[in-house]
Amino acid sequence: MLLKVEDVGKIYRVGNQEVAALRHVSLNVDERAFLAIAGPSGSGKSTLLNLIGLIDKPSSGRIAIDGTVVSDRTPDELAAMRARSIGFIFQTFNLLPVLSAEENVEYPLLQFSELTSAQRRERVRHYLDVVGLAAHARHRPNQLSGGQRQRVAIARALATHPRLILADEPTANLDHKTGGRILRLMRKLNRTSGTTFVFSTHDPQVLEMADRRVDLEDGEIVRLGVRDGKDWSYAFERRPLADEMQGTLGNRVRAGRVSSA
Amino acid sequence: MLEIALRNVRRQRARTGLTLAAIAIGVTSLLLAGGFVEDLLHQLRESTIRSGLGHMQIYRQGQYASGGHRPSDYLIDNPEQVERAVDRLPDVVAHAKRLNFSGLISNGRGERPMIAEGVEPILEARIGSAISMIAGSGLSDRDGFGVIVGEGLAKAMQLKVGDPVNLVVSTREGAMNTLDFSVAGIFRSFSKEYDARAVRVPLKAAQELMVTPAVNAVVVLLGHTDSGDAARTDLAARLPAGYEIKTWPELADFYRGTEALYRRQFAVLQIIILVMVLLGVANSVNMSLHERTAEFGIMRALGRTSRYVFRLAVLETVLLGIIGGALGVALGVILALGISAIGIPMPPPPNSDVGFTGAIRIVPTLLVAAFALGVVASAGAALLPARHLARLPLVEALRRGV
Repeated sequence: MLLKVEDVGKIYRVGNQEVAALRHVSLNVDERAFLAIAGPSGSGKSTLLNLIGLIDKPSSGRIAIDGTVVSDRTPDELAAMRARSIGFIFQTFNLLPVLSAEENVEYPLLQFSELTSAQRRERVRHYLDVVGLAAHARHRPNQLSGGQRQRVAIARALATHPRLILADEPTANLDHKTGGRILRLMRKLNRTSGTTFVFSTHDPQVLEMADRRVDLEDGEIVRLGVRDGKDWSYAFERRPLADEMQGTLGNRVRAGRVSSA
Repeated sequence: MLEIALRNVRRQRARTGLTLAAIAIGVTSLLLAGGFVEDLLHQLRESTIRSGLGHMQIYRQGQYASGGHRPSDYLIDNPEQVERAVDRLPDVVAHAKRLNFSGLISNGRGERPMIAEGVEPILEARIGSAISMIAGSGLSDRDGFGVIVGEGLAKAMQLKVGDPVNLVVSTREGAMNTLDFSVAGIFRSFSKEYDARAVRVPLKAAQELMVTPAVNAVVVLLGHTDSGDAARTDLAARLPAGYEIKTWPELADFYRGTEALYRRQFAVLQIIILVMVLLGVANSVNMSLHERTAEFGIMRALGRTSRYVFRLAVLETVLLGIIGGALGVALGVILALGISAIGIPMPPPPNSDVGFTGAIRIVPTLLVAAFALGVVASAGAALLPARHLARLPLVEALRRGV
């Protein structure tokens, strides 16, 4: 099992108040999965993704990637894991503005001292090809469209050969058609290279592509689903519990088929 | 990391440009202010030297300590020996001999005590003078028995240019001697006490009056004040025992106090300028790094450590400091040359009637100091913002868009 999220919670301070963005979230993700974390805005999707991506630390619970429990890692070790094991695709692309497309894709590889510069350039060229941007290699982000920038970000995430790629609402800033193309590309990569994809979304088009889903609401998991043809087969389903009742009732698993709405 | 830092600096034109401007202007300001101060002190020094002190004076051993009360006790019997030694020095512009004595000056109507100096008129003119003529002309070699008298003395004896006077002295052997002179001019110095008693005559006349070929002092003017110390050591080695050499700082009592006062005043002003420069640079650097919070956050999200981000931010700023410092020095030099060419009109310094033209002096140590300050200020300014960038929780750093 590649990713294990155990009873994870995240609390933010906003002014004087504490806000629980995630509560008692548990999740197992296998290799080669193409998992969607679904939910309305404010449900905690991005927070969960940030925790898995080691960009943030949980307030409670444990996360283990590839058997390594991340809560005992030093910041430098976490940085190394981010460099080698995880690829992150952000909603706002987050490309370095002064670098060209190929320099952006190359950037995480600069830390890989075992690669020669020729090997680096070869990888960069390969992945820019994979995402169809070989012709735009020298362009800066401000010379590329939204879809092209997202593809650069995908190439950058792939180039380090990570075990796990996380994508935070990857189609949110793209038009419908481009979004569809990006998703099909990611699906293809998942099938051919076997890289695990976990992305957060509230876009139904994205959910159509996923073969597993986790639904979040108010920071809790309310549904776990596995693709069943065009439908979903839900492993369990519940409403989020009120705060007073939290902790007295465990997760209840209800088997059965529920057709997707 | 250096390559990446250079690349970042090169490619962010606007941001880099602003920070460079802040640093360069700061360095230029330091240079111009410092150069102006250097010039003022330089001019003060030179005007002191050229007020008749020369760069050094050679006496018979013991004359200086005696305070000049009995100049006939400390005569240099062999002035040619001294002059030959002086002539061997590499940077001599002029040297002149002086003979000091005292006695009475009388003109038919009355007599007054006087202190007198026998000088070589043309050579003395090259060495410079602290007196200005208010009537008549100065001494000349042609006029063997002309005398110039101080303003106070002339007034007390009602002397006019052209009047005959009589100088009476006591020679070294103790005999009395007297010679007739004619008033060639009346002078004024900065000291009224001096003007009430002082006269000057040509050296040859003085030597005839005192019946001696000796002199009291040989005054030396060099081409460059900086070679003064070396010249003194050199001369001391060439002269036999029995002489003493006094350099101008030892002779100009007022100079040291004045210079100290000026330097302190200027230092305070320069510190204020320095603080303003530091604030300007710090502000620019802080703004620049702050704007790039998301950019450095992305680097960390992609796996760079906090330490790396800190070092990169500081390195980029140090590079800017070096480039900006160099630009500031270049600009400072160009402006200094330009301003010096135009000149800054200045009022007369102490002990002078004449104003002078101020300039901006370019001194190598000042150039290096201003450049170094630019680099150090930049590095220092980067420390806190870079630390903030490195420590900011990643989620927050990424929250701001690029």
